Amino acid sequence: MALPLVYHWRNVFVRPTTTTLTILVVAAVVGLLGWILGFAAALRGSLAVASDTHKIIVIRRGSTSEGTSALPPAEFNKLSQVTGVARDPQTGRPLVSPEMTVQVALPRKRDAGRTTANVAVRGVDPERAFAVHRNVRLQGPVFATGAQEIIVGVKAAEQFAGLRLGDVVNLGFGNDRGYRVVGYFTADGGPLESEIWGYLPSLMNAYSRNAYSSAALRVAPDEDPQKVIEQIEGPAIQLTAKTEAAYWHEQLRLVRGYLVIVTGLVLIMSVAAVCSIANTMFSAVAGRTREIAMLRTIGFGRGRILVGFVLEAVLLALLGGGLGCGLCLAWLQFVGRTKDMLGASSFTTLAFEIRLTPMIAAVALAAVVLVGALGALVPAWRAARVQAVSALREG
Amino acid sequence: MTLSYVLLQNLRRNRLRTGLTAVAFALPMAVFVLALSLVVGFVKTSAALEQELRLGVHHRVSLTNFLPDGHRRKIEELDPQRTRLRAVCGMRWFGGRVPGTQQTLQSLAADADTLPIVYSDIGLTEAEITEWQRERRAAIVAGGVARQYGWKVGDRVVLESTIPPYRQLEFRLIRIWDESPFPMTFYFRRDYLLDAFEREGQVGTGCSIFWVKCVDAAALRSLQQEIDALFANTPDETRSEDENAFVAGFVQAVGDLPSLAQAMATVVVIIVALVAGNTMMMSFRERIRELAVFKALGFSARRVFLIVLSESVLLALLGSALGILPIVAGLTLIPPDHLRWGAFSPPELSWLAVLGSLSIGLIVGIAAGFWPAWQALRLRTTDALRRVA
Repeated sequence: MALPLVYHWRNVFVRPTTTTLTILVVAAVVGLLGWILGFAAALRGSLAVASDTHKIIVIRRGSTSEGTSALPPAEFNKLSQVTGVARDPQTGRPLVSPEMTVQVALPRKRDAGRTTANVAVRGVDPERAFAVHRNVRLQGPVFATGAQEIIVGVKAAEQFAGLRLGDVVNLGFGNDRGYRVVGYFTADGGPLESEIWGYLPSLMNAYSRNAYSSAALRVAPDEDPQKVIEQIEGPAIQLTAKTEAAYWHEQLRLVRGYLVIVTGLVLIMSVAAVCSIANTMFSAVAGRTREIAMLRTIGFGRGRILVGFVLEAVLLALLGGGLGCGLCLAWLQFVGRTKDMLGASSFTTLAFEIRLTPMIAAVALAAVVLVGALGALVPAWRAARVQAVSALREG
Repeated sequence: MTLSYVLLQNLRRNRLRTGLTAVAFALPMAVFVLALSLVVGFVKTSAALEQELRLGVHHRVSLTNFLPDGHRRKIEELDPQRTRLRAVCGMRWFGGRVPGTQQTLQSLAADADTLPIVYSDIGLTEAEITEWQRERRAAIVAGGVARQYGWKVGDRVVLESTIPPYRQLEFRLIRIWDESPFPMTFYFRRDYLLDAFEREGQVGTGCSIFWVKCVDAAALRSLQQEIDALFANTPDETRSEDENAFVAGFVQAVGDLPSLAQAMATVVVIIVALVAGNTMMMSFRERIRELAVFKALGFSARRVFLIVLSESVLLALLGSALGILPIVAGLTLIPPDHLRWGAFSPPELSWLAVLGSLSIGLIVGIAAGFWPAWQALRLRTTDALRRVA
């Protein structure tokens, strides 16, 4: 017969102070863990664009990102020699999209505009861009080619001020051309959602540029993207080409580094939580030696006692975990759920939205169960080895 | 029976608990001292930069837009008597990297005549200034870059630019700037860049930023207003900010480590306070009768209070030391270049951070021990002796 759960549940509350203090330690660690897992999930979401293996980004050789690349039309036109590029089913034109990337400093909503972020502005030709960037889906109309209009990625719209429908954003080299926001777009959670898109010729004119920044290219479904990349990097064209996955993987280097640092810190703190739980459980076992001896006497086996005490610690940890998740939710709700970081070399910002999904909460709680069990293992072992007779005889 | 004897005996009685508490205390404290080192490093850098009284003037729209070279003269004319500004140094982003590597250095082409004045913190000697002005290919690099690539004064080095028109240029190092707050800095002469561009028919004019060295803080504030007003409603409007504000923008953009460090430090203090408090509550509860015996033997209430409180403090200090020592050792032994975050200074071992962590440990120890100690002070001997633990 196993010890009834209610026995442990009540025991958790026998020492309210100690229990509360332990729960709070666990809660603090879990709260942080929830935030980090949420951030990691947002980062993974950004990299989900990697699933589209047939999109290739072409930049000028020697440059490190779209932001520092300049691709004059003459260079861009060389891309027409590339074989294996998908074609538009109606017009038969190859799906190569010329693009220009610039940036505009927009105030962050998070700190009420005290600081600004460099938001990428991408000039595209709608006829080609949407066929190449298949993950981009419009919510509302697209910008008109004849007017100064832009569409905004949903993440940018959430995090930066002045991007509501109908707002006018000043762009152009002298910041003197007003572009009106007419619609939003999504990109499967990818980095493009942090951008602003407008009509390529209009934006090139506004920034007095005569070169594109980059090109995006769709590889035909039955062709090997690697072969296409080799052609573009080969002697005839001499440009740099990367699959979109590789490109963003590189740009997210800083973000990954940041995550590694934070995760390391939380790991260190969870060891502290394990120790704290162990301490509490040792004390619980020591204080209940006679009680345990009694249980042994009336027929509970060692295994049951061991499992029982581990269970008690897990209960304790789960209480802390639940509180921690609650704290994390409250923090995200009331303090802020957004974070943005610069790409490694693009000089434009990537916005992330941190969410504590049920899945993440479940992972955090699973971690907490592990922490509780680890902390309780040795004390529970000690409890299981209590010598009934001598313990009962003791004062 | 001295106090220290009682303390030691008490800590040794439940070695397991002392050990677990010390570890639970030490690990977060290690995080704390690291976070504090980082923050102290940033604060020191920013205090140093404030001393330099440099005002950065860049294009209002974006740092990637160049300002015309003529802005320098117009800024200088704001104060022809030089009562408020010392000198103006125009800089153009080169974005160079060592061929074959991926890391972009903070390489900037700077006005040769004013760099030694505006960046007096480089501390160029007379001989070095003469060399800087004579040698067109002269370059000054921060210690971080020099160590990473194994460069020495006198070396010839090649950088290729990662921005249009992607030129390769050769430089000769005349000075390694070891104390640079930004370890990836690389300065060279702007007239050299201009010549190189013009020889190939490329446009090399335009500056990313003008650094204005001011006489004092009041002059900096007034110039900041006047410069932005001067260029308002022109095609090239400016935004002026002091060097700290300029750097803060980047710090925020690459992940805002200082705020992360502050948040971590707060959580850590909470955790260690809870851990220590927990232990002290447990030890106290188990030892109520013993403390009552002390009192019955004639120990004064004050002394019993001190025994409980100092045990907590001792444990907290032990835990802190255990956490701080490995970090101190690590930061001393690992070359700081390995701990660098982007182009910013690595966390720096500072006695301020160590002292700060120890005092936090001390405060936590006192706070955690105070309640049990207070209860011990008010303990009624007869009640406690009668109580069954």
